[in-house]
Amino acid sequence: MSAAPQFEPKIVAYVCNWCTYLGADLAGTARLEYPPNVRIIRLPCTGRIDFNLIIKALEVGADGVLVSGCHPGDCHYTAGNYHARRRWILFRELLDTLGIDLRRIEFAWISAAEGRKWQQVVTEFTEQTRKLGPYKELYATGAFPDVPAPETASPGAKSFAAESELREVCHKLLSEGTVKVVIGYGARGPVVVTRPEDADRLVWNNRCFSNLTAYLKRKEIKALGKAAVIVKPCDEKSLVELEKEAQFERKDAHVIGMACEGVGQPKCAHCTARTPRFVDVTLGVAAGPEPQSSPSPNRLAALMAMPPVERMAFWSDEFNRCVKCYACRQVCPMCYCERCIVDKNRPMSIDPAPSTKGNFAWHIARAFHLAGRCVGCGECSRACPAGIDLALLNISLHIAAQKNFGYEAGMDPKAEPVIGSYTLHDTEAFIR
Amino acid sequence: MSEIISQSALRALAAEWIAGGKSVAGPARVKPDLVLYRVLRSGDDLLLEGFQRPSNSIKDFLFPKAEKLYGYKIRGNSIELIENDSPEPAQVIIAARPCDAAALPILDHVFNWDFHDEFYNRRRAATTVVTLACSAHDENCFCTSVGLDPGSDRGSDAILFALGNGQYEVRCATEKGHALFDGKTEKSERTGKAITGPEKRFDAQAVRAFVTTHFEDPFWNEHALTCIGCGTCAFSCPACHCFDIVDAGSAAGNARVKTWDSCQFSTFTAHASGHNPRPAQPARQRQRILHKFAIYPEKFGEILCTGCGNCTRNCPVGLGVLSVATEINHG
Ligand code: SF4
Ligand code: SF4
Ligand code: SF4
Ligand code: SF4
Repeated sequence: MSAAPQFEPKIVAYVCNWCTYLGADLAGTARLEYPPNVRIIRLPCTGRIDFNLIIKALEVGADGVLVSGCHPGDCHYTAGNYHARRRWILFRELLDTLGIDLRRIEFAWISAAEGRKWQQVVTEFTEQTRKLGPYKELYATGAFPDVPAPETASPGAKSFAAESELREVCHKLLSEGTVKVVIGYGARGPVVVTRPEDADRLVWNNRCFSNLTAYLKRKEIKALGKAAVIVKPCDEKSLVELEKEAQFERKDAHVIGMACEGVGQPKCAHCTARTPRFVDVTLGVAAGPEPQSSPSPNRLAALMAMPPVERMAFWSDEFNRCVKCYACRQVCPMCYCERCIVDKNRPMSIDPAPSTKGNFAWHIARAFHLAGRCVGCGECSRACPAGIDLALLNISLHIAAQKNFGYEAGMDPKAEPVIGSYTLHDTEAFIR
Repeated sequence: MSEIISQSALRALAAEWIAGGKSVAGPARVKPDLVLYRVLRSGDDLLLEGFQRPSNSIKDFLFPKAEKLYGYKIRGNSIELIENDSPEPAQVIIAARPCDAAALPILDHVFNWDFHDEFYNRRRAATTVVTLACSAHDENCFCTSVGLDPGSDRGSDAILFALGNGQYEVRCATEKGHALFDGKTEKSERTGKAITGPEKRFDAQAVRAFVTTHFEDPFWNEHALTCIGCGTCAFSCPACHCFDIVDAGSAAGNARVKTWDSCQFSTFTAHASGHNPRPAQPARQRQRILHKFAIYPEKFGEILCTGCGNCTRNCPVGLGVLSVATEINHG
């Protein structure tokens, strides 16, 4: 009878070609010994280490993932690692929210000269992973405590005073030819009005849920000519971000801002601005409770109070209901890619089936692609037919961007977007 | 004379089915404002009152959102195929809405027409549908506009009618229905009755006449331009049945999977060349109405819609069959 074999962790190391890979090579030529548990995958730059790869390693059976590249300042491509650092900071927060054990993922800067550091990092990480045991909690299901549901009010339709003024303004814009179309709200949802006499179809009430700026990206709408778009102050934030991302120019649309009295959505309880700020014309008067300064942190707190495995169970339960209708993507003003990553099949990095794996991959990609960009309009949650708490993921990344980079999407047109920019002194405490 | 069962006996019966190894699905409250048909863990999970209808449909249990067709393993140049011939466990769908059950004969046509879909048919044979006649309708219900009504037993193996006081009349329509309820009910003098349906909202024949003659028409641009092209309408529809076949796997293999697809996706008709014969949402909306009111009826003699209203209820922008058909009808 032989004793049970000792658990040997499998570790995947994503390393950059120019520093860490050479560091590992140096460790080899210097005959420095380190555990053979690590499988090295070489990439051109840490900036190219897609977050999907990290998840994928865990999915195919890794017990730990090591990500490493050049020290800040040493990037072969000048700034790839600065970009990577920003992304890692936010991505770790997302992983934590999802309940992925952060001890399973290690980040390090290891230069071509640091064979010893490679030896040390690999040895220590292998030992830590060995102690943790096999990673079995990915996508685990199970019991978890309740996360409070977002507060929803669905009152009957109540028209706001500015409705008639809105109709007059739009009538004028169309009849004078200032714009060719008005994207506004009608009795049952969004309407596109092209004839002045149809301006009477427009409504302004507490059922005006949609964030109409999402229509500006649609080519069938663009084809109609210059548009006037009606925005609530929360929707307006997406224009601020879209402009930064060169997806929108103020001259492209006439923006009609509605001072807001609230539409009874969860976001309204945490509204940050009830009066539009960057519009061509503002109609109505703001009313209702005083603006708050941040999205609901208490639901997130309830989630984060759980141990990671319960958090994971919570998300498994949520994501398993996903049918991949992609309404969350389609309503989102910030999801404007002509071909979404999930629609690409060469390579196919996201399992297209609404399976556990495919759903996690989609939700991680959706949330992370919106990191620091989501303006909190809440449309994805509202649209989801499966009632998935998408807002909770968005809020988590919103808070992460605020906490780490002082950035709040949609607030300041001058502030540099979080993703796509960096500073030399972005701080974190987790990269070795 | 009628057969009746109490609500508590019905729950106990559901628990008995579960204990006996059947998979039992029915309406359950998932969130304060969300009811879905789900596989029930206990008889108490079953939600019988206080909502119009679940946001999804019972097709989830016959034509699931992801169905493994076969597995495969790749080693070098050889591929090993692994049949998926595991038998489907017997399942009962309880408290289905009449507009859900009525979609099953519609799906039967499609999955047996030029090709006998073994996966669908296997599940179908293993499934018994117990419908609960409606005792209310909301502003999105329109079963009566497509030839059904809140008491229809089309596609059902048994149908329940609420009698009040937590009692239901049980009427079995098939052998399968009898197999579930025989000996489980009590005799009574009381008989149940569904509500009289929602008022007719549009004329389906007129909709058909319109769509077949207005292929290129400004109507589509005017009324369907706001569609955002999600698959919500199709995925929550009990009768929509388009699917895609995808590889869910890696270089080492895994599985070929049948997943739902929707004519509202831009990729649905995208050609490899980049050309797309339905270039924008209005053409895709037209397709959905055309298929439901003309193409399918022409082939199978009935409308591809049971009037459940789910597409309109779930549409993030207020479209769906009810909205579009009423606009066709009333200009
Ligand atoms: S979040 Fe604020 S601006 Fe947006 S709809 Fe609610 S109250 Fe209006
Ligand atoms: S809207 Fe909901 S069900 Fe549809 S893809 Fe998004 S999360 Fe999934
Ligand atoms: S088309 Fe709409 S109303 Fe008709 S069955 Fe499908 S979801 Fe229900
Ligand atoms: S009709 Fe509504 S639910 Fe259907 S694809 Fe268009 S926006 Fe989505």
